[in-house]
Amino acid sequence: MIEEFPIYRVCAQTLLFTRSAGQATAGGLLHGTAQPMLRVAIDTGGTFTDFVFQNLESGRMDFWKTLSTPEQPEQAVLRGLNHLTGGLGASLSDVREILLATTVATNAIIERKGAPTGLVTTAGFRDVLIIGRQKRHDQYDLFLEKPKPLVQRRNIVEVRERVDFTGKVLEQLDMDSVDAAIGALLDKGVTSIAVSLLHAYANPLHERAIGEHLRSRAPGISISLSSDVSPKYREYERTSTTTANAYIKPLVARYINSLQEVFAKQGFAGKLYAMQSNGGLITPELAKEYPIRLIESGPSAGVLMCSIVGKREGFSEVLTFDMGGTTAKVGAMEGGEPAITPTIEVDGVNLRKYSGLPLNIPAIELIEIGAGGGSIASLLMGLIRVGPESAGAVPGPICYGKGGERATLTDANLVLGYLDPHSFAGGSMRLDVEGAREGIRKQIAEPLGLSLRDAAWGIHAVANATMERAMRSMSMDRGRDPRQYAMVAFGGAGPLHASLLARALGVPRVIIPWGAGVGSAIGLLEADQKFSVSQTSIQRIVPENAGAIAAIFRELEARIRKEVTQVETAPNLEWRRFAYLRYAGQGYEINIDLPPGEIGPNYVEQAISTFHEAYKGTYGYSQTDNQIEATDWYLTAVVPTGASNAGGGPSANGAPSGQPKQRPVYFHEHGDYIDCPVLDRYAARAGDRINGPAVVEDRESTIVILPGDVAEVRPDGHLIVNTGELP
Amino acid sequence: MTTDNSNIDPITLSVMWSGLVSIADDMGTALRRTAFSEAVREGDDFSTGLFDRKGRLIAQGNLSVGHIGAMPYAVQHVLAHFPMDSFRPGDCIILNDSFLGSGHYPDIYMTSPVFVDDDLVGFAVNSAHHVDMGGAVPGSQIVTGVSEAFQEGLRILPIRIIKEGEIQEDVLRLILGNVRLPEIVKGDLLAQRNTNAVGVQRFSKMVRDYGIELVDAAIEAILDRSEARMRELLSAIPDGVYQNEDFMDDAGVGTEPIRFKVTVTVDGDRVKVDFAGSSEQVARGLNSYINYTRAYAVFAIKVFTDPHLPHNEGVIRVVDISAPEGSFFNPTFPAPSSGRAVLQVRIFETICGALASVVPSRAMAGFSHWSNPIIGGQDAHTGKSFICYDIIMGGYGARDGHDGQEALCPVFNGSNIPVEVQESNSPIRVRRLEFIQDSGGAGKFRGGCGVRKDLEVYASSATASLLGDRHKFQPKGLFGGDPGALARTVLNPDGEAEELESKEVKQLREGDVLSIQLSGGGGLGDPKERDPAAVREDVADGFVSALAAKERYGVDMGED
Repeated sequence: MIEEFPIYRVCAQTLLFTRSAGQATAGGLLHGTAQPMLRVAIDTGGTFTDFVFQNLESGRMDFWKTLSTPEQPEQAVLRGLNHLTGGLGASLSDVREILLATTVATNAIIERKGAPTGLVTTAGFRDVLIIGRQKRHDQYDLFLEKPKPLVQRRNIVEVRERVDFTGKVLEQLDMDSVDAAIGALLDKGVTSIAVSLLHAYANPLHERAIGEHLRSRAPGISISLSSDVSPKYREYERTSTTTANAYIKPLVARYINSLQEVFAKQGFAGKLYAMQSNGGLITPELAKEYPIRLIESGPSAGVLMCSIVGKREGFSEVLTFDMGGTTAKVGAMEGGEPAITPTIEVDGVNLRKYSGLPLNIPAIELIEIGAGGGSIASLLMGLIRVGPESAGAVPGPICYGKGGERATLTDANLVLGYLDPHSFAGGSMRLDVEGAREGIRKQIAEPLGLSLRDAAWGIHAVANATMERAMRSMSMDRGRDPRQYAMVAFGGAGPLHASLLARALGVPRVIIPWGAGVGSAIGLLEADQKFSVSQTSIQRIVPENAGAIAAIFRELEARIRKEVTQVETAPNLEWRRFAYLRYAGQGYEINIDLPPGEIGPNYVEQAISTFHEAYKGTYGYSQTDNQIEATDWYLTAVVPTGASNAGGGPSANGAPSGQPKQRPVYFHEHGDYIDCPVLDRYAARAGDRINGPAVVEDRESTIVILPGDVAEVRPDGHLIVNTGELP
Repeated sequence: MTTDNSNIDPITLSVMWSGLVSIADDMGTALRRTAFSEAVREGDDFSTGLFDRKGRLIAQGNLSVGHIGAMPYAVQHVLAHFPMDSFRPGDCIILNDSFLGSGHYPDIYMTSPVFVDDDLVGFAVNSAHHVDMGGAVPGSQIVTGVSEAFQEGLRILPIRIIKEGEIQEDVLRLILGNVRLPEIVKGDLLAQRNTNAVGVQRFSKMVRDYGIELVDAAIEAILDRSEARMRELLSAIPDGVYQNEDFMDDAGVGTEPIRFKVTVTVDGDRVKVDFAGSSEQVARGLNSYINYTRAYAVFAIKVFTDPHLPHNEGVIRVVDISAPEGSFFNPTFPAPSSGRAVLQVRIFETICGALASVVPSRAMAGFSHWSNPIIGGQDAHTGKSFICYDIIMGGYGARDGHDGQEALCPVFNGSNIPVEVQESNSPIRVRRLEFIQDSGGAGKFRGGCGVRKDLEVYASSATASLLGDRHKFQPKGLFGGDPGALARTVLNPDGEAEELESKEVKQLREGDVLSIQLSGGGGLGDPKERDPAAVREDVADGFVSALAAKERYGVDMGED
């Protein structure tokens, strides 16, 4: 039963125009063009599903939000389409592209709602998946539980075969054992099967033979081979990735099929793409084959939005700060390119390493921490802690009045005056200030002997310190000097905390994009199609090995070309090469960009010196007399979509709205509440300067400008805050 | 419970505390990512910590218990040798002495002073398990065949290996000339230097930002609060004298069992853990130097109070650990100790057993013991030396309301080494890695299963230094639960099988298969009270056989 949900419509231009004296409300989204000129971006998140409708001709964008429907995610999508046809007067036949980011894949794993899955592995190694890497994610907690595997032990079967780490076959695949193993799995009613054999990254022959056998014996079954999904070494991580892919494959396929059906029914003849964790789009066919690549697709899209906004405003070195209800995510990009990490974990406990299931998928590098608006404040030894526990959407912060009893960061922000109890979430929710005060007073202020005001500030400051740690780790510890970066802040709570965070790190500029609250959906409009393939092949990086290295990239290219054939038009591909290199004998690698061009001895020499430099940049020294080796090789091909004209808001041309409102807001610089101007973002005009202290509100977020800071409204509607002197 | 001895406000204190912990964590990341030894980069066998200018531990990374537990004492020994005014920015002091450090030579501690301008404000410290420190066998861990520490490898008393940022090349040559894989050892020493550089840079910035007075006040407050909290928690444990006793197989081939005797005295808000009555020190590489004994005893007490209490000087103050000088748990130099890693689980377990009846909610039956074999030698095919360091870990003992976890690192908290990594680095082929059916002790709550790992050697010759236990004394059950099954080590299990002892040193030939079969964890409560549905699940997953289901649990699976 879905109760009356607060749908609110944020049509940027409409709002702007209606607030402009003497101008009429803009008409429908279309102006009678013959060509389908719309693009629709849909970001299905945990709490909200966000939509952006973009008119390619006029550049106009409409934002729309509705509560997500986790049981049947397509329901929320349908509501968005109804809005398109009803509210905006367009139809799906006007749509050229639909772009999806979704938590469907992630949620299926977290909630263990995937298909009954079987795993086929090498004889003697049945328990690799259940044994895992065996480290406790919390050293002093001997009572913790390991993550629940996606496949039960009874559904893990063995086949006789053996390959070594060079790919040499030591024991031929015994087809009788395959027959018996698969028979056993089918008897148990599995509908999806993962195959992960030892050293299959070095030689996929046996896995492929098993795949063939499965296809002929059980045509309906869903198959995932580790040599396709993740041909990388370290058997547990590869098996975990492959199993997760198998586990969600039927479900994601069903979801995408049902969307395709619905879209087609409504006259959609354009193209559908899904976002991957690496920040690139893929076709629905590939998404159904490798659904694991969709994990964390929403946050990745958000980072893309930051990249584009940064570029438009002239910044290519950008730190990204995305803060929502449960977590905050920080990222970084250099030269406008987000950093990509080869591995992520899903379904972790308190975001601790080793607590979740590892996945070998290239993903935009983000540090996620348990600091969001809903993070709960508590006391430990007389010190304030914020998070990692979260009140989530239910029961939520005390001030939501939905039964939450523990003080949260949002409660503190309300008490401090940063949030307006009457206009939260576009005015669709009334916040209970008294409840928030009472909670913080009882739970934090009184036990510590602090005033209510200081306790609320303490919660705010401690949450900021947590985010500062994450941001520091993303910047300084990885060789990035925050003073050279701009920070793009988005998500419901990002714009509120961004300036203080920027000051702590010495970041001179904070950009609050237009549409910060639907940032990930906007990012989708910016994404290119991206094909990424990788391979583990341990190679010494010496000029004599140039031939072997060239052969690896030829092989990878062939794999991409095969995937590309699934795209109808022959696209222009932009190729990028990467390798993970280390000093021979180390266990962790650095991702090195390799240039295009013919791979010969000179090419290798160049790679060697690039690595020494990168190592020095990361760790402060290099060991130039050591040999270098590569473990993993990546090839990426991008199909550029061309300028989409997204990311820019409307030209900011609101009219001055008379005297600004004022309300008491706490600023630490003043040590107390002061009467602070509260501005309406929709009334801002390009070129306006806003001197801090000030609060700027739009329907999805609240921007806090600190005393001494000066914000400028840019032509595209973005706000740039120049942070003042360091405290 | 604000027992403030300072004027520092709780907000600043909260922010600084979180900053200190993050520095120690980030040092850990740096070491893991730049290290060469598999023990460090895959097994997390290292630790990092920050000390104040008085040499007191203030923050540590989420890493190896033994290393971090011994670290405060190692730093005291450094300070005893080097006067405070002798430090210069960029100095690094190392030591690996068993008594001064964490009880065996492979663990090298590196201590670096932190300066702000001309003032010493603290120390950044890390320790790492090196791949080799010379001595009788590859990997420098040997129980059988040594009688004094001089046979175990190169002993380093506190020396300044890096002077104001300059590596002392002569010292380095001396060290590298005594180890089997000098390139790897050098790489790891450089990684350790770099790790401290991260800590020095971050800690000095913090002191610059806040001022040393405020940092000092924050440290005092953190230590005092930690101590106060520990006292409060100890007060909640009923006063009394609690004892327990257990045995290790032996101290290597042909020796007697080793007695673990512990007396835990809880007296108001203090606790004393005494090992009197345990075995005398042995002339084999197995003794537990006092720093090591302290590390795991403090760990056990923390588990019985609040695992999430920060580990620092304040907590250590309240826990008094003692063992008679010259005994197994407080040996005197030159007692050999290189294989001591194998006993740490048991310090915890023995204390746990003593407190089980008083704090039953936190009690745990015996662990499936772990095994730490090292296989090394010459690979005739490549002509290269190799050292294959392995960690094999099984299940936990059952506890009230929960079965023992399957295959989780007991106590010390390392990771296993992936088979595919292992096979790429050494002439080793893994034949099996799997649970042993029916090895977990039956009970209302079942003990975790033992794990079996079979390693085949395809080097022309190799030496295996075995480091396991529980071949003779089963992991204990609790409150009516069964003990776990015994461990075995078998050479060539599928051919002419030969049973090996838990701490043998064995020469291997090409094609030999070494099968390490761990014991199972102990069960808790009467097996007949186990939920029959849980027994059926266990049978379906193969952790328990249908036969055992019937005989031990009284559940008939309806099969022959």
